[in-house]
This record gives sequence, C-alpha cells and structure tokens, in this order.
Amino acid sequence: MKILLVEDHSELAKSIVSYFVQEHYICEVATTFAKAREKLELFKYDVVLLDIMLPDGNGIDLLKLARQDKVESSIIIISAHNALDFKLTGLSEGADDYITKPFPLPELHARIKAIMRRRSPQQTNLLTYKDITANLESMECRINGKLLPLTRKETSLLLYLINNKGRMLTRQAIAAHLWGDYTDNLDSVDFVYQHVKNLRKKITDAGGQNYISTVYGLGYKFDAADA
Amino acid sequence: MKLNYRYTLAYAFITFFVLSIGFAIVYAALSRSVTQATIGQLAHLNEVVAGQLRSGRDYSAHPAQANVRISRLAAPGPPLARTVQVRYEWDATLQAQVEVVRLTTYLVVRGQAYGLTSKAAVVKPADTYFTGLVLVFAWTFVFLIALVIILSEVISWHILKPFNTTLRGIELFQLGQKSNIALASSRTREFNVLNEFLAKMTTRAQRDYQGLKEFSENASHELQTPIASMKAKLELLMDSELSEKQLTWLTTMHDELERLTKINHSLTLLARLEHYESRPNTFVNFSQLVSATEATFADLAEMKGLSIRQQVPPGVQVLFDESLAQVLLNNLFSNAIRHNQLAGEINIELTPTALVLQNTGQAPTAPVAELFGRFKKGNAALDSIGIGLAIVKRISELYGHRISYDYAEGWHRVQLTFAAPAEEAS
Repeated sequence: MKILLVEDHSELAKSIVSYFVQEHYICEVATTFAKAREKLELFKYDVVLLDIMLPDGNGIDLLKLARQDKVESSIIIISAHNALDFKLTGLSEGADDYITKPFPLPELHARIKAIMRRRSPQQTNLLTYKDITANLESMECRINGKLLPLTRKETSLLLYLINNKGRMLTRQAIAAHLWGDYTDNLDSVDFVYQHVKNLRKKITDAGGQNYISTVYGLGYKFDAADA
Repeated sequence: MKLNYRYTLAYAFITFFVLSIGFAIVYAALSRSVTQATIGQLAHLNEVVAGQLRSGRDYSAHPAQANVRISRLAAPGPPLARTVQVRYEWDATLQAQVEVVRLTTYLVVRGQAYGLTSKAAVVKPADTYFTGLVLVFAWTFVFLIALVIILSEVISWHILKPFNTTLRGIELFQLGQKSNIALASSRTREFNVLNEFLAKMTTRAQRDYQGLKEFSENASHELQTPIASMKAKLELLMDSELSEKQLTWLTTMHDELERLTKINHSLTLLARLEHYESRPNTFVNFSQLVSATEATFADLAEMKGLSIRQQVPPGVQVLFDESLAQVLLNNLFSNAIRHNQLAGEINIELTPTALVLQNTGQAPTAPVAELFGRFKKGNAALDSIGIGLAIVKRISELYGHRISYDYAEGWHRVQLTFAAPAEEAS
C-alpha cells in the first residue's frame, strides 16, 4: 500500500513513517502544500493523510483540489482541530475520515485499514488470523468455524487487535478506539481490562488459544511473535 | 430614579424655598407700604389743618379737624421733627382692636407753638391679604412645577438623546463582536468625551480579547502536534525491547501525556464554545439522543454493575445543536457512571420540559455551587480532569437551558430544564 503523508511537523512525520514501514507500507512525506500538490499530480496513492495547518496553505484547500482533480486516493484528515470542530463547521466534507491529534498510531492504522476495505469491495470481507476468522460485514467471529458469542464492543476489540497484531497496544489507545470521542473518561481504561478479560475467556472457551498477552502496567499485545 | 426627575425634584425644592422668601418679602413690603401710605395721608391732613390754623379763622367744625387733635405747646423752643406712633388699640368707630397710626407735626403760628396729632386706623394684610397672598404663591408654585415637569421630559428627552443612544450602544455591545461599538456624536461636549472614552476603551478591550482568544486557540492547537509527536515516539519505543521498569516509566509518561491531551482538548472545546454563536431554532430529537447515548454507555454501566432505569417518552424536541447536545449528554452520562458506586443505580427521566439524571454515589467533597467551575472536582480521588461540568454548563447556557445540581441522601441529581422555545418547532 502506498501512503502520502502531508505533515509539516517532521518528527511526527518520521514516527508515522517508521510505524508504517514496519507494516511494509510505502509512505512518502510532503511537508508543504506545494510539495503535496506536486506529488498528488505525479503519483497515485492509496491513502493520503492530510494535516490541515500547513506552512504555505490549508489542507482543506488541498482536499478540495484533490477532489476536483478526481484524485482517487482515500483521504484522512489528521488535525489538531477536535471532532466537534469538524461537526460544527463541516470541515471534513470530502474526506473519508478524520482523526484528531494526538492519536495513537495503531488507531490511525486501524482507520486506514477500515477505509481500504470499504473502498475495495472486491477484496474479501474476511479477516483471518490463524484459526480466527472475522466476517467484517456480518461482524461475526469464528474460531475453527465455531461462532464466538461476542458483544459489539468485543468484536471491534478483536478486530482492532488482529489489525494491529504484534504491536504494543496501550489501554488508552484501545479505549479511544472502542469509545472514540464519546468519553473523556480517563477511567474508561479500566473498562478495557474488563473487555479484554471477557474476550480472552470467550476465545479460550471456544477452544482457541489465548493470543492476547498482557504487557504489565501498559497494555496488551495480540501476539504474532511466537507464531 | 430618572435623571430628569432628580433635576425636577431639586428644582421643586429650590422653587419652594425662593417662593417662600419672596412671599415673606412681599408680605413685609406690603405691610410697610400700607403704614407708609397712611402716614402720607396723615401728613397731608396735618398740612391742611396747619393751613387752617395759619389762616386764623375758626375751622373747628371743618371735617378735616375731626381726627386731628390740636394742642398748644408751652414754649416755642427749637422746631421739633414730626413723630410717628404705631400701636394696637381699641377703635370705637370700628369696634375692633386695630393698628392705629398717629402722626404728630409741630408748627408755630404767630408766636404760639402747636402740636398737630392726627390718627388713622390701618387694616393690615395680616388679616385679609394673607390668605390671598398664600394662594397666589401656591398657584404660582404649582404652575411652575407642572411646567418644569412637562418641559423637563421634553427637554431631557432632547438633550439626553445622545446619552440614551450611548447607553443602548453599551447594552448591545459584545466583546466578541467584529464591529466597533455603535455611538452617535452629539453637540454636548460631555457626551462626546464619554463617547470618545467608551470607543477607545471598547476598541482596546476588543483588541485584547481578540488577541487572547487567538492566543488560547492557537496555543491549544499548536500544542496538539508536539504532543502527537511525543505520543508516537513513545508508542514506537514501547514496541522495542525494554525492561519492566522502563516500561513502567513509559506508561507513566504516556498516561500523563494522555491527561495533558484531554485537558487540552477540553479547554479548546470550552474556548470554542465561548465564541460559538448558536443558531436559533434548530431542534433536535432529544428522546432519540438520550436513548442512543444510554445505549452507548450501557456496557460501561454494566461493567460497574449499575442498573439503569429510564423513562424516555418519544418525540421530545429540544432547542440544541445535535453535536453539542451529544457532548453534553456524554459528559452527564459519563459523570453518572464515574461518580457512582459498585452495583449502584442510575435514573433517567425525560419530560418535555426537563431532563433529570440521578445516580447513587458518594457525597461531593467540594461545595455544590462550585462544581460547574473549571477544574473543580466533586471527588478528588477520581482521576478526572474536572472540566466536564463547565462544558455542560456552557452548552446549556448557549441555548438558554438551565442546569442545576444537588445531592441528597446518597443521590446525585442533575436537572436540565429546557428553555421555553421562542417559536414552536415547525
């Protein structure tokens, strides 16, 4: 997958790039409006990650231009504006998604994957990890063909874990993914513990392995390392 | 009291005082002039009688001598000045106690000195004039005051017009507005000075306010990117091989950063709301929103073992922006869950006029009235940033709804009373 990251903060850009390099994505960076424009004209990208405040222009303008020029890339806005700003001012019109800074990198990754799946219907709707199969349309998860009795939150937790397998996932990142902007509750991280516990139990009850390992005090890893 | 009333009142006092003095002067002058006129008349009478004496003929039967007593004086001596005597005495002809004026003049006729004493009764104003005078002054006073009241209304309306325009301008002025304060120039120097001063002051305040607003918005925004960068680096670091101790430190850093983010987000939101201009007459289906929010929080409530009872009739429309209403409900619901006890209860009751959210929980440690302020926490032990209720309050105020909170017998009770819509939802 090919990603264009439009971000003027070079350290943040570096971190994002190194994260995606581990996922074997090709990630190019444009630090200015002009460079981004040029790259969009010359090359084709699957996803464009677009910062709004650029030193020589506004990301929203770039978004409009890209849509005018029928650029087919999915565009995700990454901005310091919060979600309410987008809703109140309609900033995000034309974008496929938006994510508010600061965001957990796995969250960005999960969003990209979700968008890619939506945009390419020919791709399979099944997400498979070892003996776990998740149907992304019906939101059913099976272990060796056996249906897992998961709640909606547990399903999205499982998908998030699979999508970010092998990664260190903090409780905050998981909470942000599960409850999104709904909660400014810092204690929602305690609920993550409960969800993970339930999910583990349901998987092992269905005869699956416990793939979720706890990283003490920090979070969880959906372990692909010892596969 | 209106300014012109004060003037009128002051003027009434002054007028009353001046008229009273005037009345006293007029009264005294009148009394004096009556006596003086009588003396004049008596002097004339004495002249007539003196003429008769000088003629040497007998005029004793003449009517002029009826009120004049002629007395022969022993020695001619030096010529004496006339004397005037005024006193009250019984007057037989009038059958009353009256003021009697006596004038005595002296003259020498053919070596014989005479004293001529004439007298006359004087009717003083004290009796008859007094009431008349009082009436005249009273009417003058009433007429003057009436005129002053009417004229002061008219004149003050005219003179104070620029001042009232200024007052209205101040009333309508909002710090956040883009234009300058609306002031009309006037011919009165004082008003122009006031207007100038106001214009200068408001412009400065607007500039400062604008600067502060931009600063707080920019600061919050600008902070987000470095925080994002730090968080990303921490996450990358977490993925590398680290000892447990290092991981714990990392977690602490990560948690603090998370906290910083939340505070920053909330402050940005609050700053945004301070300058948010609500669009009137946008209604939202509150019933639906409350139910949906309840559903979102259901799993969180379940994990804490809370039982939720809700009474939400369908179709309650409330004046709100949907996104803001969502933020408000999220804050209220998450509070109801956070400040609850294990296996506690939550009651949700929606009526067309109010939303009442009750939950069990420990009593707040801070004074109830302060809970809507920023960074005020009802329970210091909980890991919250204490800004949620400030946001709730601000959103409610934007649409004229009233939010109240109290705590009684183990129940927290938040009531959101909806403002009566100015126009019916169409």
